[in-house]
Amino acid sequence: MEIGFIKKLISVIATNDNEQITRISDDELIRRYTQTRDEALFDEIVNRYSDKIYGFALRITRNASDAEEVFQEVFLTLAKKLDTFRGESKFSSWLYRVTVNASYMYLRSQKKHENNISLENYSPYDEKGTLMGRIMYKDWSSRPDIIIFNKEALIIIEKAINELPESYRTVFHLRDIEGLSNEEVSEILEISIPAVKSRLHRARLFLRDKLSDYFHEWRK
Amino acid sequence: MFICKDVVENIMDYIDSELDLETLKELEKHTGDCPECMAFVSTYRKMLEITGKLKDKPFVTPEIRNRLKILLESKLKPV
Repeated sequence: MEIGFIKKLISVIATNDNEQITRISDDELIRRYTQTRDEALFDEIVNRYSDKIYGFALRITRNASDAEEVFQEVFLTLAKKLDTFRGESKFSSWLYRVTVNASYMYLRSQKKHENNISLENYSPYDEKGTLMGRIMYKDWSSRPDIIIFNKEALIIIEKAINELPESYRTVFHLRDIEGLSNEEVSEILEISIPAVKSRLHRARLFLRDKLSDYFHEWRK
Repeated sequence: MFICKDVVENIMDYIDSELDLETLKELEKHTGDCPECMAFVSTYRKMLEITGKLKDKPFVTPEIRNRLKILLESKLKPV
């Protein structure tokens, strides 16, 4: 009877602790973890960031097993060196930066080199600066949502993003998929804000074209 | 006077509502008269809606998570 009661009490306390952990801010979570090295706190960091880190590593490497290697390396680094996080930037930005570095280091170690083609001259208009005859015949914007947001369209857009050169792919991922600000992306990738904007602009033009081709072909 | 190229090159600031009033007026005047640019802006907006759906996609399966746990335990345990 008594043992049963104590077990129940422990379980209630643990549940309350877990609920509290999920509610605390990143900064507080990091502070508590670096002080206590409590495994439950580290698990919460993994819960919050594992999909983001794996997704970003996958975007850079474009290969699931490479992404997992990077993912493991990032969390190993985190477990060992979290106390080197100074709190000068947001924790998420610092973690994305660790992921970029781990990805590049991993790709270098595997001698997987990607030619970084420039899209700076990529544009949908002709040499006179006009779109005449280039866009409207492939206009898919009024298609029903059930067609536009179907699974196949999402697969097409994923494939198209992966066709972007790496320097455009990373910017697009952080800015338009993760929803970070230009300033955050600039800090994570260590490039200027105009460079972030310029790469994002060309990446979007490229992806809009790819989707137009897809929906145009789909109608045939 | 705006041409299609100006619409394309200002599209990001237009979507983010960061154009100055004069440029905004020029852009909207041209887009109103140019069905190609109108289609460009509409498909650009839809493209952003689609890519927005990729946010919060789950990647990490219980197996990946378990392999991470095993790795951390083996690497971090004191010898």
